Amino acid sequence: MSSAKPTSQEVGGATAPTPRFRVVVIAERCKECGLCVHVCPKHVLEIGSKANSRGFRYPVPARQEECVGCRMCEYNCPDFAIFVVPAGGGG
Amino acid sequence: MSGKPQHPLDKYLITKRLPHIWCPGCGIGVALAAILRAVDRRIREGSLKFEDLVMVTGIGCTARAAMYMAFDSAHTIHGRAIAFASGVKLANPRLEVLVLGGDGDIAGIGGNHLLHAARRNMDMTVFMITNMVYAMTGGQVAPTTPTGMYTTTTPRGNPETPVNVIKLVAYQGANYVARASTTHPMLIERFTYKALGKEGFRFIEIISPCPEIFGRHIGFRGPIELYEELKRKSRFKPSPSLEESDLDWENGWVLGEFVDREEPGYLRRIGRV
Amino acid sequence: MSRFEYIPANIAIAEGAMAAGLDFFAGYPITPASDLFEYLAEKLPERGGVVVQFEDEIGSINAVVGAAWAGAKAMTATSGPGFSLMVEGLGLAIMTETPLVLVDVMRAGPSTGVPTKTTQADVFQVRFAAHGEYSIPVLAPWSAQEGFDLTVKAFSIANALRTPVILLTDAALAHTWERVEVRSRGEVCVRDRKPPAKPPGEFKPYEPDEDLVPRMAYFGEGYGVLVESLAHDYEGFYAPNTEEYARLVRRLVDKIERNAGMIVESATYMVGDAEYLIYAYGSTARSAYAVVKELRREGVKVGLFRPKALWPFDAEGLREVASRCRKVFVVENNLGKMVREVERVLKNKEVIPINIIDLEVPPPEAIEDEVRRWL
Repeated sequence: MSSAKPTSQEVGGATAPTPRFRVVVIAERCKECGLCVHVCPKHVLEIGSKANSRGFRYPVPARQEECVGCRMCEYNCPDFAIFVVPAGGGG
Repeated sequence: MSGKPQHPLDKYLITKRLPHIWCPGCGIGVALAAILRAVDRRIREGSLKFEDLVMVTGIGCTARAAMYMAFDSAHTIHGRAIAFASGVKLANPRLEVLVLGGDGDIAGIGGNHLLHAARRNMDMTVFMITNMVYAMTGGQVAPTTPTGMYTTTTPRGNPETPVNVIKLVAYQGANYVARASTTHPMLIERFTYKALGKEGFRFIEIISPCPEIFGRHIGFRGPIELYEELKRKSRFKPSPSLEESDLDWENGWVLGEFVDREEPGYLRRIGRV
Repeated sequence: MSRFEYIPANIAIAEGAMAAGLDFFAGYPITPASDLFEYLAEKLPERGGVVVQFEDEIGSINAVVGAAWAGAKAMTATSGPGFSLMVEGLGLAIMTETPLVLVDVMRAGPSTGVPTKTTQADVFQVRFAAHGEYSIPVLAPWSAQEGFDLTVKAFSIANALRTPVILLTDAALAHTWERVEVRSRGEVCVRDRKPPAKPPGEFKPYEPDEDLVPRMAYFGEGYGVLVESLAHDYEGFYAPNTEEYARLVRRLVDKIERNAGMIVESATYMVGDAEYLIYAYGSTARSAYAVVKELRREGVKVGLFRPKALWPFDAEGLREVASRCRKVFVVENNLGKMVREVERVLKNKEVIPINIIDLEVPPPEAIEDEVRRWL
């Protein structure tokens, strides 16, 4: 896990931080148990509005830039449906 | 690869058989992922070979894990995985044998084989996933069901005291006895990693939520509620004693490594290492 | 280098197993099979094999199945009460098509019965005890020498057809001492498994060849095999649909029945001009043969038909020999078991059951008295 400080850019007075990590969701495996959303310490995830082919609404990283790469979502998912990679690499 | 996202553990799974059959929020998949992460670490560092892995299961929800593994596995009969696994290891000592089962399969019908394999310090790692109920068949009482609890075969409340499998296995002389929980996946991975570096009988109990059967029957309305309840009831201790290993529904239970010995395993004792 | 020894059938069976390449024996003490186990506990480790006493018969049979999947030539030995415990494990071996040999030394039952004495009551139990649809080879020696020879054959069948095989004897035969030619490993002909013919990834553990037998990959060979007790498809994946299920169970039965030529073997004595036929097997056939010889001395044209494999049933062989006979006597040390098959197969023939319950081998006189009433 890199300890580099997030880069930020000033865009018209606001700061938009660049995500350090990317949460990857394999939508078809998700069963909408909600554990990943529940355990994320940074509230990165939300249950999305789109459902997979079985009708389960899979999570989306609504606040990707908050992700610190702790992998609590990955470790607590029962379905091999979510994992975390460094932004710009893997998956 | 056609650009589909590949989970880091996919090499251990038959991905075309996913999604697996376990219910939303079931702890078995969490336990399995943690176990496979530890296996993966051992393989990457060179102390374990993919071709030497054998997973043996009996019957029940946990036992279904066998059919998703990309390495050699066996989905055998109820309660007999440990006996089957003993034969596997004795016939080919090179194989690394993992047994997965529920508390009913391992400590109920399988109790006799568990007791004697532990007594022999038979060289295998047994993961007992404790959900306190026979879930696959609809929620009957299990050896670990708390006293007084409703189940479908104890509708007036369970009159029995739950079995303390930690003590039972430890007192037979097993080399490694630990308890983890799917609410603490890092512990599962850590204990598994350690177990894979040892010989003899290694036993890891993994407390696990069964939201659909166990939880629903006693009034929990979803996976997160049951997860929180189990998490609240469990506490990790660095070197717990066997005296604090009871599974106490009211007062909670201790996670940790209760026994960590280096006695010769069975294969060493018969000169087949 | 073969040698001649004066040994009981139990020991001859153990020697036959070792000659056939036995690597692994798991067992539990039970009269009258314990001495077979004890002999192997001494001898097999000297040849690099493993012998372990398990906590019960259930552990034993399951360990044997596991060992077979790890590449061992595996065997266990028991008697009626132990066989009863092993039945579920035997079913596992049948469903997963696991090669192994199960020696059943029958003793008087039901239940604890008379542990040290003999019977032939379990000839149907060994064929039909497991639940579900299947067929299974059952071999029945009548001498210590045949104990050796048929055990070698049992391993051959097990490997060639990927099936458990039962070697059925009884308490009397178990401890009958006779001269046996004990051949060594290099002197016996034993078929081995059919190894995979496709690479990992393409190989399917339950895909049959034309002989209806799938090839077998062991654990540790890199094929990612799935040993599966649920009804399954060619890959071993659970297939709870009628088409796949019917295909599987029909093949499990046909695999044995259509390959019966490799299993079935019957000995005939003085049947060329026989008007009367005696059907007998195992230890009882020894007395039956004496009766045949005695009656022949009086001019009675009688012969003996002795199946060495009880299952599959040698319908063709029996029909051929019995076609020339007026009456067929089925002599058994039970209250009438194989006679049901004889009656079924010889529909228009007069079949007379001779049922003699005897804790020892029925003496020739007892059989002769019964047969004479019908001549």
